[in-house]
Amino acid sequence: MKILLVEDNERVTQFVIKGLKESGHTADHAGNGRDGMFLAASEPYDVIIMDRMLPGDIDGLAIIEALRKSGKRTPILILSALSDVDERIRGLRAGGDDYLTKPFAFGELLARLDALTRRAQGEGAQTKLEVGDLRVDLLTRKVTRGDRSIVLQPREFKLLEYLMRHADQVVTRTMLLENVWDYHFDPQTNVVDVHISKLRQKIDADFERPLLRTVRNAGYTMTAHD
Amino acid sequence: MYPFMRSSALTLAVGYVSLGFAALALFATPLWYAWRVTIQDGRTEILQADAQRLTDVFRREGAAGLTSYIDMRVGMQIPNERFLLLTDGSFKPLAGNLPAWPAGVPAQSGSYTFDVQAGGHVTSADFVYVALPGGYNLLVGRDLARYAHLEQRFWYALGSAVGILSILGALGGVLIRRALMARIHGIRQTVSAIIQGDLSRRLATNRSGDELNTLSQTINGMLVQIEQLIHGVRNVSNAIAHDLRTPLAELRSRLEELTLTKPSSEETFAELEAAVADVDRVIRLFNALLRLAEIDSGMRRSGFVALDMAEVAADAVEFYQPAAELKTCTLTMISNGAAPIRGDPVLLAQALGNLIDNALKYTPEGGHIKVEVRRGPGQSVGVSVSDTGPGIPDAEKSKAVERFYRGDASRGTPGVGLGLSLVDAVARLHGSALAFEDNHPGLRAYFMLQQDALQPIRSSDGALSLHPNDARLLHPTA
Repeated sequence: MKILLVEDNERVTQFVIKGLKESGHTADHAGNGRDGMFLAASEPYDVIIMDRMLPGDIDGLAIIEALRKSGKRTPILILSALSDVDERIRGLRAGGDDYLTKPFAFGELLARLDALTRRAQGEGAQTKLEVGDLRVDLLTRKVTRGDRSIVLQPREFKLLEYLMRHADQVVTRTMLLENVWDYHFDPQTNVVDVHISKLRQKIDADFERPLLRTVRNAGYTMTAHD
Repeated sequence: MYPFMRSSALTLAVGYVSLGFAALALFATPLWYAWRVTIQDGRTEILQADAQRLTDVFRREGAAGLTSYIDMRVGMQIPNERFLLLTDGSFKPLAGNLPAWPAGVPAQSGSYTFDVQAGGHVTSADFVYVALPGGYNLLVGRDLARYAHLEQRFWYALGSAVGILSILGALGGVLIRRALMARIHGIRQTVSAIIQGDLSRRLATNRSGDELNTLSQTINGMLVQIEQLIHGVRNVSNAIAHDLRTPLAELRSRLEELTLTKPSSEETFAELEAAVADVDRVIRLFNALLRLAEIDSGMRRSGFVALDMAEVAADAVEFYQPAAELKTCTLTMISNGAAPIRGDPVLLAQALGNLIDNALKYTPEGGHIKVEVRRGPGQSVGVSVSDTGPGIPDAEKSKAVERFYRGDASRGTPGVGLGLSLVDAVARLHGSALAFEDNHPGLRAYFMLQQDALQPIRSSDGALSLHPNDARLLHPTA
């Protein structure tokens, strides 16, 4: 993936760029609004990470608004220390696609970038999802693994669907909370883990090869690869 | 002292006195006019009747008869009570108390007012002039000076009224001002004391229910709120100092130890991970505090929508169900049907989540947790979470919602001590407060959602109504 990072803090920049490169992405960096605007408008990026408060006259939101006005649809993740609800709304209204508050975990950032680009590519009107020998039919809501049929509760089905739609990607607990339960807060406890382990009981327990795996310090991933 | 001329009480008194003058003038003018007209008409009528009587005498007894009649009248009456004059055709006086025919009497019979020379001075008088047959002229008049003192009395009365009004007005102004100043001075003293930092001071109030009293009560209410907030801030700073220092101290010693001991890379890695976890604890605490502050500021009503509280609760119960099962507790939901209310679904879900989470934390294995949502009287909805855990001693019930409060029972359990504060803040945003009672055994936490407390506040630019698509990014998650 080709990623643009518009961020003025050097440590954050170093941390993010290094992390992105280690994850196999190409990353450009702009340290102020003017350069960021220029790069974002002239280069084709898969996704842009935009800080809000930048040195110079142009702030992050102004860049996003200008890009959207000129018809650029590149997914943008806003990365900001401004965490108020109002600020989040402002960021989204300006044309941002996702909003991550500083300080953040790199795993969270990476997972959200993956989700954003996947969304931009369009999931299409998929009716069947497949990871390894696990199959989900979204129309009949049937779940099978190998030749065995698996019965899931509605919420478990939604959880599985989300994990399978993001197969081979890391999905964080926060992303699961927001997308499966529509909960936009920190429930303080490990309830998500409990839900995952229940789901795991049903889809992985009786099989040799686990598909739903825990990613240390980040979240979960659904994959058939090792 | 305060400059008198700038006193609002003086302005008020002057205004009232001026208004009194205006009212007096408006009252006196028609009265004066009516009096004038009535008296004038009455006088003319009397003179005309008198002239008629004399004319009758003239008709009956001729000029000689009238002359002697007039002489008799003049002899009997109080001097100058009535001016009478009978002249012949050449205006030579025949009888009466006027020395000569006054100059300026018009040639026609009728009523006139003019000056005459009588008793050595000139006086204004009303006259009726009758031209009698045979060239005789009859003049019947009345001295207006006789009425002058009446008019004078009227003006005196009016003058006294103005005087009394002015004096009373000024006196009233001074008294009102003094009473007002006394109370304002009291308020100033109290406020000065508060500015000096004595937040426990309150304005004096009584039961009169007047404007100043109402104002004082409102200000006192504000002071209570401010004192509580400041008290809260003070407690919070102390608590933050403690709760933040602990993980920061751990973090510091962990990192320092690494630089000192330079352990194997594997051990270093594990230590660093633990350090990140320490930082995450701090961040989590910060986020919880920021969120509380956001809710507490009362501006979070932007997210208010019409919702069914029973549905929100059912979702929360479903969400926590596996966690309850893991602890072999039962988690059940009771409601009396849909519970429509206006509120913030995210905050309500979080508040309920915190209560359930709390109940799960303290309820021993095999316990029962019950979530209840009931449509109450009016358009209110009651929400409660009961458990069969150890409960909270009565003495600690009111303290439980304070920031960073952690009861004895909670020592050693995870959490930052802000969960119940958040529930309380959410409850207050929705028009009530979090309260606790005994569940025999266990604890029952409950709050009410009030429909009428839920007028959503919009920001000045009106931009805060939530778009459904916005919601997923609105809320920070640690």
